[in-house]
Amino acid sequence: MVISIVLILIVTYLACGLLFAIPFVIKGVDKIDEAANGGSIGFRIIIIPGAMVFWPLLLKKWIKQGGHKK
Amino acid sequence: MGASYLAVGWNRQKKIYDWFIFAFCALYLTTFIAVTALYNPDYTFETALIRSTATLAILLLHVILSIGPLTRINKKFLPLLYNRRHLGVTMFSVALIHGSFSMLQFHALGNVNPFVSLFTSNTQYNSVSQFPFQALGFFALVIFFLMAITSHDFWLHTLSPKIWKALHMFVYLAYFLVIMHVMLGVVQYETNPVLFVMVLAGAATLVTLHLVAGTKEVRKDNRIFKLKKEGFVYVCESQDVPDNCAKIFCIDKERIALFRFENKLYAIHNVCKHQGGPLGEGQIIDGCITCPWHGYQYLPQNGQSPPPFKEKVSTYIVTVEGSQVWLNPQPLPEGTERSGAAIIIPDKQIIENVQ
Repeated sequence: MVISIVLILIVTYLACGLLFAIPFVIKGVDKIDEAANGGSIGFRIIIIPGAMVFWPLLLKKWIKQGGHKK
Repeated sequence: MGASYLAVGWNRQKKIYDWFIFAFCALYLTTFIAVTALYNPDYTFETALIRSTATLAILLLHVILSIGPLTRINKKFLPLLYNRRHLGVTMFSVALIHGSFSMLQFHALGNVNPFVSLFTSNTQYNSVSQFPFQALGFFALVIFFLMAITSHDFWLHTLSPKIWKALHMFVYLAYFLVIMHVMLGVVQYETNPVLFVMVLAGAATLVTLHLVAGTKEVRKDNRIFKLKKEGFVYVCESQDVPDNCAKIFCIDKERIALFRFENKLYAIHNVCKHQGGPLGEGQIIDGCITCPWHGYQYLPQNGQSPPPFKEKVSTYIVTVEGSQVWLNPQPLPEGTERSGAAIIIPDKQIIENVQ
């Protein structure tokens, strides 16, 4: 039972990560790291798994960077 | 290093390295499966694949963990270090195949979720001979996964070098889990002690290599520089520094790399801005100090990466008096230009002295 709940939580977390990762690799990554500007499509694809795992950190950085731009 | 990120920063050397890794892995797996089919015809292809990928992943893991200490013991191993991350991702891929087929073979055939089955089919955690060793392999694979997905430089910048390095140091925990996974699995399934002995020998070799390299580093760091003059300390004789290479000195707990380039001596901070690699263990390639870990480059004259790159390290003032090299351990601001200290002794005489 506990294992099932943990698995559901992990899958939900990663699903949220996938939803976040798509706009992030298209637009957000350029905002938080200037070396990503002009980054290749391969680079954007390769960071998707990491974005799915570390999405809360990336979201925080993206929001923070967006605030600076204003 | 790159101005904009690419998926993989390949160059000719790295391509050769990767092709070699690929060819070795393909040859290993093919040979293992062919030999298994020949001598153990009862084994299914899946079993042969699970075993071949398991042994290959463990072999690659031992190579990966040996590279660091080996390069500290002997610089001839440096080329192995340049592309270690690709070797790591390859090892993860092989381990993932092993894990996936193991899940398919042992946990996917019932009506229970395979991941639930992994943790609930055997719960004898208090037994050595029946310990659920597969869970240990799973957790090791999770660590390798986290390392593989953060292997791109983007993650180094995003997570910060300190956190990135800390995350990747978990490889030692993963190694321990792998060893226990194998040992406890062998106890349950194997009657042949060869694998058991090989894994023990591998672990002993790794521990020895790390101890030897660590001792060498400590000895280097503990050297006391007694001769001082107006802020400068005497570090070595000019002929002690090989051409296009460096000697590393630890003064006031800071490591400084003293490079010789075109018969001049230049000192820069030993720590690469990219991932903290030991610059003094690298060489001067195309006029640039090249980090042995990932090839980040700095000009010896000012400690700056050549344009368009922006990394900078601290530089230091060096003087040469006769054959004596004196170094001021007070760092100049990162990227400060200073002329190198010309070596006074002619090369011919240096060669004679060395001989």
